[in-house]
Amino acid sequence: MTDAALLEVTDLSTHFFTRAGVVKAVDGVSFSLRRGEVMGLVGESGSGKSVTGFSIIGLIDPPGRVAGGSVKLEGRELTGLLQDELRALRGKTVSMVFQDPLMTLNPVLTIGEQIRLALEAHRKITATEARRRAIEGLAQVRIPDPEATVDFYPHQLSGGMRQRVAIAIALLHGPKLIICDEPTTALDVSIQAEILAEMKELVAELGTALIWISHDLATVASIAQHVAVMRLGKIVEEGPMLDVLTRPQHPYTRALLDALPSRTEPGTYLLRGEVPDAAPPPRLTAAKAEPAGDEAAPYFVLDDVSKRFETRTGSLRALAEKLGLAKPAVSVLAVDSVSLTVPRGEALGLVGESGSGKSTLGRMAAGIYAPSAGTVRLSGQPVMSTGETPRKLTTRVQTIFQDPFASLDPRMRIGDSISEGPRAHGLVDRAQTDAYVRDWLGAVGLDPAVAGRYPHQFSGGQRQRVAIARALAMQPDLVICDEPVASLDVSIQAQILNLLMRLRSELGLTLIFISHDLSVVRHLCERVAVMYRGRIVEEGPAAEVYDRPRHDYTKRLLAAVPVLPAAAS
Amino acid sequence: MRKDSPARRFWAEFRESRIAVAALALVVALVGVALLAPLIAPQDPYDLAKLALMDARRPPGFVGSGGYVHWLGTDAQGRDLFSAILYGLRISLQMGLVAGAIAFVVGVGLGISAAYLGGRREAFIMRVIDLQLAFPAILLALVISALLGQGKAQLIAALAAAQYAYFARTAHGAASAERGKDYVEAALSTPLPARQVVWRHILPNCLPPLIVVATVQVANAIALEATLSFLGVGLPVTEPSLGALIANGFQYMLSGRYWISIYPGLALILLIVAINLVGDQIRDQVNPRLKR
Amino acid sequence: MLTHVLERILQALAVMLVMSALVFIGVYAIGNPIDVLIGPDVSQDIRLETIARYGLDKPLWEQYFTFLGRVLHGDFGRSFVFGMPVLELILSRLPATLELTIAAVVGAALIGVPAGIYAGYRPDSALAKTIMAISILGFSVPTFWIGLVLIMTFAVELQILPAGGRGDTAALLGVEWSFLTANGLSHMLLPAANLAFFKLALMTRLARAGTREVMLSDTVKFARAAGLSEWTVLRRHVLRLISIPLVTVFGLEFASTLAFAVVTETIFSWPGIGKLIIDSIQSLDRPVMVAYLMLVAFVFIMINFLVDLAYFALDPRLRKGRG
Repeated sequence: MTDAALLEVTDLSTHFFTRAGVVKAVDGVSFSLRRGEVMGLVGESGSGKSVTGFSIIGLIDPPGRVAGGSVKLEGRELTGLLQDELRALRGKTVSMVFQDPLMTLNPVLTIGEQIRLALEAHRKITATEARRRAIEGLAQVRIPDPEATVDFYPHQLSGGMRQRVAIAIALLHGPKLIICDEPTTALDVSIQAEILAEMKELVAELGTALIWISHDLATVASIAQHVAVMRLGKIVEEGPMLDVLTRPQHPYTRALLDALPSRTEPGTYLLRGEVPDAAPPPRLTAAKAEPAGDEAAPYFVLDDVSKRFETRTGSLRALAEKLGLAKPAVSVLAVDSVSLTVPRGEALGLVGESGSGKSTLGRMAAGIYAPSAGTVRLSGQPVMSTGETPRKLTTRVQTIFQDPFASLDPRMRIGDSISEGPRAHGLVDRAQTDAYVRDWLGAVGLDPAVAGRYPHQFSGGQRQRVAIARALAMQPDLVICDEPVASLDVSIQAQILNLLMRLRSELGLTLIFISHDLSVVRHLCERVAVMYRGRIVEEGPAAEVYDRPRHDYTKRLLAAVPVLPAAAS
Repeated sequence: MRKDSPARRFWAEFRESRIAVAALALVVALVGVALLAPLIAPQDPYDLAKLALMDARRPPGFVGSGGYVHWLGTDAQGRDLFSAILYGLRISLQMGLVAGAIAFVVGVGLGISAAYLGGRREAFIMRVIDLQLAFPAILLALVISALLGQGKAQLIAALAAAQYAYFARTAHGAASAERGKDYVEAALSTPLPARQVVWRHILPNCLPPLIVVATVQVANAIALEATLSFLGVGLPVTEPSLGALIANGFQYMLSGRYWISIYPGLALILLIVAINLVGDQIRDQVNPRLKR
Repeated sequence: MLTHVLERILQALAVMLVMSALVFIGVYAIGNPIDVLIGPDVSQDIRLETIARYGLDKPLWEQYFTFLGRVLHGDFGRSFVFGMPVLELILSRLPATLELTIAAVVGAALIGVPAGIYAGYRPDSALAKTIMAISILGFSVPTFWIGLVLIMTFAVELQILPAGGRGDTAALLGVEWSFLTANGLSHMLLPAANLAFFKLALMTRLARAGTREVMLSDTVKFARAAGLSEWTVLRRHVLRLISIPLVTVFGLEFASTLAFAVVTETIFSWPGIGKLIIDSIQSLDRPVMVAYLMLVAFVFIMINFLVDLAYFALDPRLRKGRG
C-alpha cells in the first residue's frame, strides 16, 4: 500500500477459543485507510465487523485473542505491543465510540469527571484546566450550554446528547483515527441524522480518519467514502462507496441491497426473501367458539383511548401527599386521546420514534394493557373487560412481538407454545394437536419435526417464525405486529416480511404493523398513521403520507431517513 | 433430533466445574451415609443401655468394652463418636431439608401470589415480609424455639419461620421480573387463564434463582440448627444433632479432649461447604450478567 | 429531599409501632411467665397477688397499651431475674457489644472489599482462588465453631491470647471501653475476629460478584478505549459502581452482626447484650427479651434510614425527580 496510509491491516485474524471450539470471528481481514479518510465497515450480525474494530485497539476480552496478521498504525506494528504501550495509544492516537451511550458512560460520575479521567489518562492536568477543556470539548460536539452540562450526570441527558459526550471524549486528544461501532443504532432516526451530519463535519474539520461500523447500508452511504462489506469474518467486497453500493460485484453485497424494502415496489415480495414453497396454513372447519359480533359495526375501532402510567405509591406516600408533605407522584400520559378505525382486511402502519406511544397503543389494541380512558372494539365487541382486573375477552386479536427470544417461553417446547392457546380455547382436541402444530410449522416454513425443540435451539429468524405460528394458530382475524423485524438482520427481515405478506393474503388478515422503520411500513401497509408524543399527528394512504407529508413532524421524520444512492442499472 | 432441554444444558455446564461436581458428589455421599446410618454405624447411639461410662471420653483408636475400635473416640456419655456423627448427620440433614422445604413452599407461595395479585394485597404481603427480614434469622429462630420449647417439630417450625421470608422475597422479585416479560404478555394476550400462566410459565422461569436460594438456605438451616443446639435451645441431648455433639464436647476442649467437638464439627463443615459450593456454581450459571 | 426524609421518619415510626405490637404479643402470648416468677410451691394468694402486680391478669391488648405508655416514658419495666430496670440493664451492657460489633464490621469491610475486588478483577489467578476458598469457608463454617477453633489455637495451644472476658477497660464519655487499653484490645481480638469472619466472607463475595459484572460492562470497555489505566478504572469506575450494593449490605449486616454477637459473646464470655439475651431467653425474662428485640428493630430501622441517605449521596440517578 502507499506510504500515506494511516492504518494498514493485513491478514488480521481474531479467534475466540470457546469450549465448543475455535470461533474465527475475524478470519484474514486486510484493508488500509488513508489520513482523514472515512471508511464504512458493513455486515450482518456475526460478520466480525465489531471484533475487527476492537482488534485494532487491542481490546479483545478472553477467550478471544488476535491470532495472526498485522495492524500497522503510522507504520508502527500494534499486534505485539504490551497492554501499557497500547494504552498510551488508546484515546490519544486511536479512540473509539460504542453503540449504546447509556451503557458506556458511568452513571454515577458527572460528565466533567469522566472527561477529566480521560484527560488525565494521557497528561497531568489541573482541575480548573480540565474543566475548561471539558467545556471546550462539549462545545465542539455542539452540546448546547456546555458550562451546565459538565456538571450533569449521564441520566440527565438525552440519548443523542449522551452519544455526543462519548464522541467528545473520543476527540479529546485529537486522535488520528476514530472507530465508531454502531454509534447511531440505539438512537432515533432524527437524532441519527444530526449525529451523522455533525460527525461528517467534525472529521473533515479535524482531518481525523474514521471507521464507521454499521449493519445499515444507508447510514454508511451517507458518511463513508470507502466501504468494506464483511461476511463470516472476511471482507467480501471493498471499494469506493458509490461503486460498491451502485455497482456491487459480489453476490452477497447484491443480496444485501436487494433485501432492502426500499429497493422493491411496495406490496410485492422482496427479491432475496426466498419465499419458501411452504404448506398452506391449516384452517379449522369447526365453528369458532365465540360469536363474530356485529357485522355492521366498524371493524376494528380504537375509540378515544388514552393510557396514563402512574408511578406506584404506597399508602403512606399517599397519606403524605394528602397532608402536603410530599409532592404528588408524577404520571406519564403515554397515549393521549387517540382514535383510529381499521377496516377489515387492511394493513395499517403505525410509525413513530421511541417514546411516541406507538407500542403502548399497540398493546392496548392487543388487549395487553387496559386503556385508562376510551375503548377498543372489534366488530362492536370490547376487546377487554373493564373493572379492577381487566381481562382480554377475544381470541380474534393476536400479537407478534419484537424480540422472538423474549416472547417465547424459554422453558417450553415450541410445539407446546404453539398448541397451548388453541388447546385452552378448545380450537383443537388432544388428538388433533400434534397434526395441527406440524401443519403450522410447515406453513411458516419450518421443518414440522422440530416441534419438540426449545427456543434456544433456533436462530432469530426461525424463532420469529415460531412466534408467528403461535399467534396465527389461534385463528385470529386481526394481528398486531409490534416491530416484528426490528431485531433481525436485513436478509432475515426480508424473509419474515415475505412470510407475513403471504400469510396475510392467504388468510385475509387485518394487520396493525408497528415500526420505527419507515421503509418497512411503506412496503407492507396501505395506510399509515404517524405518532408523536402520544398523539397521531397524521394519518392517510401510505403513498400520500410518504410523498406529500402535511404535518411538520412527518416532514422532519422523512427527511431524516438516510437514503441509499440509486442502483445503477 | 437432539435432546437439548434447558435442564440438560444446565447439567452440561455444571459438569464443567470440577469443584462443583466433587462437591455435589460429596453431598450425595453424605446424604447416602446419613440414610444408611443404621447399617453402617457400629453402635446405636440412642440406645442408652449399650453405653458404658467407662468408655467415656476415650481418644480415637480406643478399643472399648463393646470390643470394637472407636476410630474417632468416644464422647462424654461413652458413645462411639463415629456412630454419633452418622446419626447426628441424619438429624441435621433432616432438620435442614424439612425446614427448607416448608420455608420453600410457604415462601414461594406467598411471593408468587403477591406478584400475581398485585395492588394493595401485594404491597401488604411484601411489607410484612420485609418487616420480618428486619430481624436477623438467628434471633428469630432463637426466640421462637425458646418460646416453643425443645423438640424436633418445634425446631423445624422455628427454622422455617426464620427462613421462609427469604424465599418469599426472591420469588416475588423473580416473578415480578418475569411478569413484565414478553412471553408472559403473549400468554396473557392469547388469552390463557391466569392460573395457567402462573403455573406453566412464571413459576418454571422463577426456579433458577429459587434453587440458588434453596441450596443456601438448606445450608443455613443446618448451620442455624447447629448454632441453636450449641446455645442449648435446640434438640434434646438424647438425640444429638451435629451441633449438639459439638456443644457437648465444648467443655472438654480446654482440657485437650479436642475430638469430641472437632470431629462432629468437621462433618458439619464438610456438609455445609459442599452444599454452598454447589449453590455457588448454580448461582454463577444463572446470573445473566456474567453471560457475554 | 426534606419531604423524603419526613416520609421516611413517618414510615419508621409506623414500623416501630407494628414491631412493638408483634414483639409484645409474640413474647407474651406464648407460655406462662408467671412460672418463672414464683416457685410451684407458693400459695395461691401470693400467686394471684404476683399476677396482679405485674398486670398479667389483664387482657393482652390492655397489657400492651400499658406497656406502650410506659415505653414512651423510657420505662421498659423491670427484669424478672435481675430485678433492675431493663433500660438501665441493657444500656450498661450495650457498649461492650457495640465496640465488638463495630470492630468486626469495619474490619470485615476493610479487608473483604479489596480482597473481593481483586478476586473479581483476576478471577483465574491463584490468589483469587485462595481468597474465594477462604471466603466459602467463612460463609459456611458456623460462627460458634470458628470461635471454638480460635480458642483452641490461640488460647489453649499457643497461649498468646486470652480465651474470654473484656480485660481492662478505660472510661471515655463516662462509659467503659476495652479498645482503649492494650489488655482490653488483646481480649477483643479473638471475639472480634470470630464475629468478623462471616461478614468478611460476605463482603468478599459481594465485592467479587460486583467487580466481575462491572468488568464485563461497556463502561469499563469504553474507559479502557479512552486509555485509562487499569488502576484508574478500578479505583474510579469499579469501586464507585459496586459501592451501592456494598453499602446496603454493610448496613443490613450491622444489624445481623448485633444478633450474631449472641453466639460470640457466649463463647468468649463477653459481657455484652448478646450474653444478656441468651441468659434471659433461658430464664424467660420477658421484659428483657422485649426491650432487646425492640432495640434490634430500632437499630435496623435507623441503619436503613442511613443507608437510604447514603444512596442519595452515591447514586445520582435517585436524586433527580424526588423531593
